Amino acid sequence: MSSPELATTPKIGVYVCDCGINISGKVDVAAVVEFVCKLPGVTAAREYKFMCSDPGQDLIVQDIKEGCVDRIVVASCSPLMHEATFRRAVEAAGENPFCFQMANIREHVSWVTEDSQEATRKAKALVAAAVVRVGLHKPLERKRVRVHPDVMVVGGGIAGIQAALTMADSGKHVYLIEREPAIGGHMAQFDKTFPTLDCAACILTPKMTQVRAHPNIELLTYAEVEGVDGYVGNFKVKVRKKARFVREDLCTGCNACTEVCPVEVRSEFDEGLAHRKAIYRPFPQAVPNVFTISRKGLPPCQAACALHQNAQGYVTLIAQGKYREAMDVVLRDNPLPSVCGRICTHPCTAECTRMKVDDPLNIPGLKRFVADYVLGHEGGYHLPRPQQERTEKVAIVGAGPSGLMCAYELRQRGYQTVVFESLPMAGGMLAAGIPAFRLPRHALRREIDNLEEIGVRLRLNQPIGRHGIPLETLMKQYDAVYLAIGAHVERKMRVSGEDLPGVWGGIDFLRRINMGELVTLGRRVLVIGGGNSAIDAARTSRRHGAEEVRVMYRRTRAEMPADPAEIEEAMHEGITIEFLVAPHAIRRSPAGLDVELIRMQLGELDDSGRPRPVPITGSEFTTACDAVIATIGQVPDMRSLGDQLGLETTTWGTIQADPMTLATTIPGVFAGGDCVTGPDVVVTAMAGGRKAAISIDRYINAQDMRAGRELEGAHHSHVEVDTAGVLMRKRVPMPAIPIDRRRTFDEVHTGYTEEMARSEAARCLDCAVCCDCELCATACEPKAIDYTMKDTLREVDVGAIVLATGFKTFDARRTARYGYGRYPNVFTSLEVERLVNASGPTGGEIRMRDGRAPKSVGIIHCVGSRDELTNRYCSRVCCMYSLKLAHLVKERTGAEVYNFYIDIRAAGKGYEEFYDKLLKEGVHFIRGRAAEVTDWAMNEAEEGRLVIRAEDTLIGVVRRVPVDMVVLAVGLEAQSDAEQVRRTFNISCSKEGWFLERHPKLAPVSTYTDGVFLAGACQGPKDIPDSVAQAGAAAAEAMVLVDRGYIELEPNTACVNEEACSGCKTCVSLCPYRAISLMEEKKKALINEALCKGCGVCVAACPSGSITQNLFEDEQIFQEIGGLLSYA
Amino acid sequence: MNTEERTKIAGNGDWQPRIVAFFCNWCTYTAADLAGVSRMKYAPNVRIIRVMCSGRVDPQFVLDAFARGADGVLIGGCHPGDCHYIEGNYKALRRERMLRRMLREMGIEGARFRLEWISASEGEKVKSVMNDMVEKVRGLGPLRLPERRREWDREMAEEPGEKEVIAHV
Repeated sequence: MSSPELATTPKIGVYVCDCGINISGKVDVAAVVEFVCKLPGVTAAREYKFMCSDPGQDLIVQDIKEGCVDRIVVASCSPLMHEATFRRAVEAAGENPFCFQMANIREHVSWVTEDSQEATRKAKALVAAAVVRVGLHKPLERKRVRVHPDVMVVGGGIAGIQAALTMADSGKHVYLIEREPAIGGHMAQFDKTFPTLDCAACILTPKMTQVRAHPNIELLTYAEVEGVDGYVGNFKVKVRKKARFVREDLCTGCNACTEVCPVEVRSEFDEGLAHRKAIYRPFPQAVPNVFTISRKGLPPCQAACALHQNAQGYVTLIAQGKYREAMDVVLRDNPLPSVCGRICTHPCTAECTRMKVDDPLNIPGLKRFVADYVLGHEGGYHLPRPQQERTEKVAIVGAGPSGLMCAYELRQRGYQTVVFESLPMAGGMLAAGIPAFRLPRHALRREIDNLEEIGVRLRLNQPIGRHGIPLETLMKQYDAVYLAIGAHVERKMRVSGEDLPGVWGGIDFLRRINMGELVTLGRRVLVIGGGNSAIDAARTSRRHGAEEVRVMYRRTRAEMPADPAEIEEAMHEGITIEFLVAPHAIRRSPAGLDVELIRMQLGELDDSGRPRPVPITGSEFTTACDAVIATIGQVPDMRSLGDQLGLETTTWGTIQADPMTLATTIPGVFAGGDCVTGPDVVVTAMAGGRKAAISIDRYINAQDMRAGRELEGAHHSHVEVDTAGVLMRKRVPMPAIPIDRRRTFDEVHTGYTEEMARSEAARCLDCAVCCDCELCATACEPKAIDYTMKDTLREVDVGAIVLATGFKTFDARRTARYGYGRYPNVFTSLEVERLVNASGPTGGEIRMRDGRAPKSVGIIHCVGSRDELTNRYCSRVCCMYSLKLAHLVKERTGAEVYNFYIDIRAAGKGYEEFYDKLLKEGVHFIRGRAAEVTDWAMNEAEEGRLVIRAEDTLIGVVRRVPVDMVVLAVGLEAQSDAEQVRRTFNISCSKEGWFLERHPKLAPVSTYTDGVFLAGACQGPKDIPDSVAQAGAAAAEAMVLVDRGYIELEPNTACVNEEACSGCKTCVSLCPYRAISLMEEKKKALINEALCKGCGVCVAACPSGSITQNLFEDEQIFQEIGGLLSYA
Repeated sequence: MNTEERTKIAGNGDWQPRIVAFFCNWCTYTAADLAGVSRMKYAPNVRIIRVMCSGRVDPQFVLDAFARGADGVLIGGCHPGDCHYIEGNYKALRRERMLRRMLREMGIEGARFRLEWISASEGEKVKSVMNDMVEKVRGLGPLRLPERRREWDREMAEEPGEKEVIAHV
């Protein structure tokens, strides 16, 4: 491609910089100058030692002023370094600053090339490319944009505090964002600061108070930046204010809440050396002085429960001995605690996090305990009474758990509920199906009395349908009807002889027994089936006098639907279970019954996801017995309902109901429990009752029945718990009556004692931290606690951002040879900071984990620093804080202190003097990286102590130093989410994760993203003085930007040549800033210059080549390519 | 043309590959600066052109570089998700896929054209990518597209009757 004709031939001046010997040491600068002289258009070519110096720039200015050049090329360092400098010089000389191009012959040539000749060749090519390019440069104008006057500081450690205060003092409105509940950062954890030994709190607390009181600072704690839009001078920052569940405007910081809170977790502020409550403030002087509740969401147990029974809540309260309060928590979600505590199949325990450690908690056992305890010791429990009364009436058909639950929920909402029951007693399957040795009748009776007490009306012996009140009448007389008739009809086995006397349906058999009827079974009983009722029937038979009870199941134990614990109990009681057998025919025999059975094998999976049992031909065999109890599943008794008025049923014989609302095909009639799900467990039936109650409430109030109900019912919790380090503690076994008493209907399990229950409850891992017991709300006088609080998003406009997000300390477990986490008396330095702190967990006493004061302490330097295996860099602060800790330990305990160091790095004002002072204090210094910490004693002096093995490089011997306590001087690392923060703010990280400054020396607080500045240790390890100084610098940089009031944008925007544009709209969708639109009338693209950021994506994509990017025009780049390849 | 022939054409052995690189201002160009500041040493054969975004690289730039005698072309951009202009690097990726197919059709080996994600902190990667690419291109020998174009033109001119047809790249 040939260069287009220019109106006037440009006069190009080329200035090649020696950069001392940085360039000239490798590149033959004179040869480059000689070479460029011959290039077309070059009218001046000069070499100078430092082009960026004043005399260097003057060369350019002079040449322009004299009129011998009007296009300038400087061949020196990177344009990212000095482009602005030279543009200013060009402008000062009266030429347009964009008639300028730089060739990078330092960073890209002299510093990276071995061979001098090659370097010169490459430099020539780069300069030639710049020369041919600059000939096409056009004068451009910079665009000015207003800068928003507000600023933001992210991170409330000492650096963030300092930056915020500096800017606020100068009158800027500052948003200070801190993700923890309080500001102060790491410095708030320290006791003394080196080398002056002034107290960290004494110098930090006043600054924190100042932040709180400053009229120009808006402090947003427990908040995180979610996204940043816009550009320098005009950022739009999206801040997520996390729900702290305590209203900041009402909380007075009185601390009454923590006294009642039952949940204790490790205190982050005390590095796990002490506990804090679920409602907490990190430390007493916290700013803001308000509490926060750690609430992670529904714990796994609660989420797994179809009723969302708050198990963590009552378990925690039981562990604290607060039984009455625990009972209140239980009753919030469940009016049948005694029942559920005994016979619920406890899906909660299947999700219990404790399972990752040992056994899941016995959650139902604890519920039963608290119900029994409150009944025995505190005068019983009562259900909450409705807050309001309403006139609407709801009829509930069936007094099983589903019907009772629905009645309870509706009563709580004030509705008048009447429960119709065809049997003479309430409870449904609980009364008719579940045997008394599992659920004593008095326990059930108590729950039903409680329900009657709050106004649930029961009408027993009152069938609905064919044999009693017609369904239609109910529909007329009541505002809504809930059908919960259960599934009480035993399915037929469809084998010959099943109607013979001596063959019982399982549910029929259990009902007769439970109602006290006389049933004659005989000595040998065969139970067919594998569900809970089959096991119940078998165990009941045993108690009813049968000597030999055998259960026949057609699949294997793995597929058996009965509760495994119940199966265990049954086998324990002498019941045998045979697998992979099914009945074929039943015949009368002289001695009783002959049952012909056939063996099965497992085949393909069926619809229920279980393998289908397939008969093995020829495997038939016959067994003799006196009675057969067939328990293979039940269906609802639809016929008894009579005229169904259009109620539709499924192919399974159950009522068809909407799974989300339980509405049937008749408006106002709802159905749930076993009559919809088929035979299922009590908690599912109760969940159906609640679901129906919610629907009925909405139906009566003419609200949307479907809105927002996705999370009803059992689901998987998203709460994750780290169980590392949790000690094993097996489940407390549930006491039971001896086997010889198992022939009566006495309750098998006798329940936990108080001591057992507290011990079992204490195993809870507090998965969700806050257990939602709501005790704090009762203790809080100003009513500041708000459990309904949600995260809020807020958009803030700012002109500049200072990032001060700090560091994290190195995880000492990663250097396993020092035994942190294995030996109790190996501490990290931050833990010791808390130990020496007067407000720390020991009140400033230095104590080992067993409470003794150490007599000798070893401090190992450079843990996670200067180490090929972890971090290669020096963390800069460890030497000094180790000296400080050595001094404090010696001062407080008089212990011998040994420092194991590689080098002592005491570069700083007063630092070396401090080291000197320590040497004089008699602290031991052993030069050499410690090899390991071990408890393997080689002599008597080492017995029971920790031994540090290290080479003493000064005397050239390997030493073993026995000590009581080891302190690991852990290094500093980038925050674990630095990568994410970097992306949010569109800046870069070094490979260690520290935020990258724009220039290591000349722009240490700026980033490559204009308007984003760095302060403190997020940029690299730093001590307090350096962090504060850098914070001041960052604040100043931000204020420079804001105070100037405007910024000039690089004029590298794109524009459309309308004549060439075909209106194809390719560019419109490509622009990430929506800067391009199509002019409707002209059918041409239009670029909004104010929105264009100058990436050039549209230019490259335009099929007709009608978009041009200033400074990066196609032709300029073609010239540059040509220049690179044509010369040298 | 096989490698042997290429080496023969390269002749006296002082042939050096010439590679044109387009680096985005924010990540890869900065990384190249970092490589310099860290005084890493790498092959001198790659010459860098700075663009604001890898998405600015017009496929014509790549073709033009080959047409003017480059033996290889390298594009460097920010890692996916890190683009200073949100998603320019994805646009570059799409163009790279298209160009790669096109270059294959034209008989230009895949190793002569490369797109790399190099962040501002990856000076080491600049060095290793450049060295690697130079080695691979060196192995392939010179591309000599301008000379070949002239040869083709001459052949076409000598072919009787079809003088007006001129091969273009």
